[in-house]
Amino acid sequence: MYLGKTAGVVHPVDALDRCVPLQISIGSVPLSLFIREQALLEPAIRRYREFAHNSEDGFPIVLEKRETRAEESGEFSYLLDDAKLVLRSQGAEFHGVRHEYALDSLLRILLTMVLLPQRGFLLHGATVVRDGRAYIFFGRSGAGKSTVASLSPKGSVLTDEISLIRYSNGCWQAHGTPFWGEFRAAGQNRLVPVAGFYLLKQATEERVEALSVKQALRALLPCVLFFTSEKRAHETLLRTLLGLIEEIPCHRLYFRRNAEFWKVIAA
Amino acid sequence: MSGQIMRNPKLAWREVDGEMVIISPEDSQVHELNETASLFWKHAEGKTLDELVERIAAEYEVARETARADLEELLAALGEKQLMFVAPEAKE
Repeated sequence: MYLGKTAGVVHPVDALDRCVPLQISIGSVPLSLFIREQALLEPAIRRYREFAHNSEDGFPIVLEKRETRAEESGEFSYLLDDAKLVLRSQGAEFHGVRHEYALDSLLRILLTMVLLPQRGFLLHGATVVRDGRAYIFFGRSGAGKSTVASLSPKGSVLTDEISLIRYSNGCWQAHGTPFWGEFRAAGQNRLVPVAGFYLLKQATEERVEALSVKQALRALLPCVLFFTSEKRAHETLLRTLLGLIEEIPCHRLYFRRNAEFWKVIAA
Repeated sequence: MSGQIMRNPKLAWREVDGEMVIISPEDSQVHELNETASLFWKHAEGKTLDELVERIAAEYEVARETARADLEELLAALGEKQLMFVAPEAKE
């Protein structure tokens, strides 16, 4: 499945008349959300307002009100509670989406698949911009992502929960996402070159420890959002992560719950 | 034991600094092999245990019994994690 280009796509369903798509772009992936339900469209417009994008060739996503049918299948499908994502090369269908949170979840899953062939992925991490470069603080739930974000200057946080990383214009870039945790912010739709990755480890001192290639891979893998069990997709992910680790330094950051950690990162 | 030794075809893997990192896509389990197991992973595919015993015994000048015991132990460990297996012999 190749999802890199979306120009010239055919809409997955025909009956889209009188439904103006909500055009957004996340991680430089243009998306056209066809939402007929006014009760869902309005919160979606609010939620993704910072990611509005005027594009004619967004990857079409059609939200269907009806319940998921068992026989619904595409090149990739994923069931999340009552909602289901069906992904085809020409577009995607979201079924049974009842609220914006389900929409948000399916968008994340979709993006993991769309970004994969483009050397991109989503990571459980906070992205903080300092001196024009992005620092990714990653770790599982409770590692301290939101704490790091809360200790960073206002406006410097691209996301406190889900970081979007992809290779473009000859370097690894961190993109802002509308996927936030405790901050509940609208996000910032911009991209910043990545300075480094920091696996969070709460401690009684501030210290940075460089990770070997294998250690970095072992640290990153469980924090990547990934929803497919396809072998080739995992091979692509491995290749992407190893390419990234070759170019971008990865560390373990021991930190206390204060902003002193910037001193050891800068050192 | 003369069936061919095979890697589990469902697994995704890459070599990192001479050692294998293997992912099981079905459960996202990550396995890391040490240097010896990584060599086995690279070179045992498609060979029989008897062939490997002969090769190890010749190259490292060890007794066949020793080579066989070591290889069987390694194969059993990899088999337990469902990383490699011995394919059943084709019937004539």
